[in-house]
Amino acid sequence: MTITTRELVPALAIPPRRLPGDPGRPLTASRTGSRLGRVGLVVLLLGWFALPLLPLALWAFANQWSYPSPTPTEWGTDGLNSAITAGGIAAFGRSALLGVAVAAIATLIGAVAARALVAGWAPFPRLTTVLLFAPVAIPPFASILGTNVILLRAQVPSLLGLVMVLVVVALPYTTFTLRAAYAAHDMGYEEEARTLGASQAQVFWRIQIPLMAPALARAAFLAFLVGWSDYIVTLIVGGGQLVTVPIITASLAAGVGNDSVVAVLSLAAVIPPVALLMVLAQNGFRGRP
Amino acid sequence: MTAAIALREVTKHFVDRQPAALLGVNLDVLPGTCTALLGPSGSGKSTVLRIIAGLENPSGGQVLLNGRDITSVLPEKRNVGLVFQRPLLFPHLSVVDNVAFADRAAGRSWRIARERALPYLDMVQLADLGRQRVGSLSGGQEQRVALARALAAQPTILLLDEPFSALDAELRHEMHELLADIRRQLAPTVVLVTHDRDEAATVADRIAVLENGQLLQHDTVDRLYHRPASIAVARLMGGENFINGVTVGGVHHSGLGSISVDESAPDGPGVLLFRHESLGVSAGHLLPLTGNRLHGSITGISRTGLRRRATVRINDEDIQAELPATLDVSGGDQLTVDLPSGILCVVPATSR
Repeated sequence: MTITTRELVPALAIPPRRLPGDPGRPLTASRTGSRLGRVGLVVLLLGWFALPLLPLALWAFANQWSYPSPTPTEWGTDGLNSAITAGGIAAFGRSALLGVAVAAIATLIGAVAARALVAGWAPFPRLTTVLLFAPVAIPPFASILGTNVILLRAQVPSLLGLVMVLVVVALPYTTFTLRAAYAAHDMGYEEEARTLGASQAQVFWRIQIPLMAPALARAAFLAFLVGWSDYIVTLIVGGGQLVTVPIITASLAAGVGNDSVVAVLSLAAVIPPVALLMVLAQNGFRGRP
Repeated sequence: MTAAIALREVTKHFVDRQPAALLGVNLDVLPGTCTALLGPSGSGKSTVLRIIAGLENPSGGQVLLNGRDITSVLPEKRNVGLVFQRPLLFPHLSVVDNVAFADRAAGRSWRIARERALPYLDMVQLADLGRQRVGSLSGGQEQRVALARALAAQPTILLLDEPFSALDAELRHEMHELLADIRRQLAPTVVLVTHDRDEAATVADRIAVLENGQLLQHDTVDRLYHRPASIAVARLMGGENFINGVTVGGVHHSGLGSISVDESAPDGPGVLLFRHESLGVSAGHLLPLTGNRLHGSITGISRTGLRRRATVRINDEDIQAELPATLDVSGGDQLTVDLPSGILCVVPATSR
């Protein structure tokens, strides 16, 4: 059979079928429908997180809000003034210090534990893993009441005891976050650095710490949250001596007519974690590409 | 001359009761030379390199650097440079800061360390990429930076652990040329690990063949190809022709016929070895049967790129012979094969 040019023309005139990955059709290109879906999902999620904060924000600046008015019936800063008078600023400082102390200690211990588990240095690794995870699995009342008795009998100062217990509570989060990071950490970098003349200390500071920084930040953030937001341990082990933001907030919330001051303190409690989250998201929270 | 690096009866057991990863390895590498450690996966070649670098402790034996026992010296005190298969560039540092790392570790300031790093970046033709983050480099560029970083430490000996095996053929060829250029400029002592005998023959002066943790032969490239010490070495070097027979008075008798070999070949059962690339091959049976000339016929032809390899039946034996590109033959054709005595080698039949 002879194929003529005329027969070929219609075939060539058909536009070639484009497949994913062809030029002009990147695999990740958004299609209108899926893009709208994603935007909708983001809006819904933001609404989900923001909705509970809306009444708080309104109450924080309401001197009076009578039912059934949808907005405060009298705007003002009585709540803020009451929060300051009730010792809110000092409580804020104590909570921040507690969070930082717990983050620092739990991240350090978590890093050592994680490295030991990954490198196989830890004795009885399975039992060690279970013990490290136990604070999450055991109901807090059961462990804390018992621990408090021991701390009191041993005459451990309440602040020290509080930090010790909160560090234990935070350890599962730091250890398991860092264990995953150390498992993915390539020891080849450290070996390479040593052949280039770096001592073990130099390898630690110049290679291990920079490479592990995103994971350390994630772990420290989680541990900070444990210290910052804790109520039950602070109440029982602290014996009411250490007044933090959750303690003062819960105390005022138990009273009547404190809606405004409680709203101010609750909003204040949200600020540090969100601010930290934003800082970490900007500075390698997700790790290097 | 004192060897730049010498291994004396080096043994390594990773797990008790398991076969040794290395068993009594003795190796001398002369200053300014390049030695390739060649062997299949699991032969222990990378373990040799890690023991020289101090990243593994030998279970027994000694490592000598310029005659000094460094067996128990820490890696950072050995002044031994190592480039891995993966470039392992520090991702938090720029290209120039990676190359400056050794000077920084030695306590030099950033300014001086960077100044001293630049000639090495220039040597690997990447002087203009110094400020870039390492994540933006291509695979070939990364390996060049890794090489510059190791050289900037001015090591006594440069260890290369399959550094080019992840690169494509063209990049690998470029890296071979770069290594040759570096050797001309700096004359470093190099030990290269590879499983690619062509790469070993291209870049190294000598090759040490390892198998199952044992050093089978350490010799020049030519001698390893044409004078393998054992059947195993010949096989690892890509040998295809192993003819069983008996040697008597410098003549090897086998299914091929009687082939004159070196008079020093030991009498008794022996395996005749010769390279398929080194045979003289011509079409037909026109040439008279003199010396080690044999007549046979082609029973099959296989092709690798432009190269063709023929299976030639000679008397009762099949041998492999590479066909010249200009030789127009096909299956069933007659062939005359010359075996020059210089390419023939007989090893005892009992050799591994």
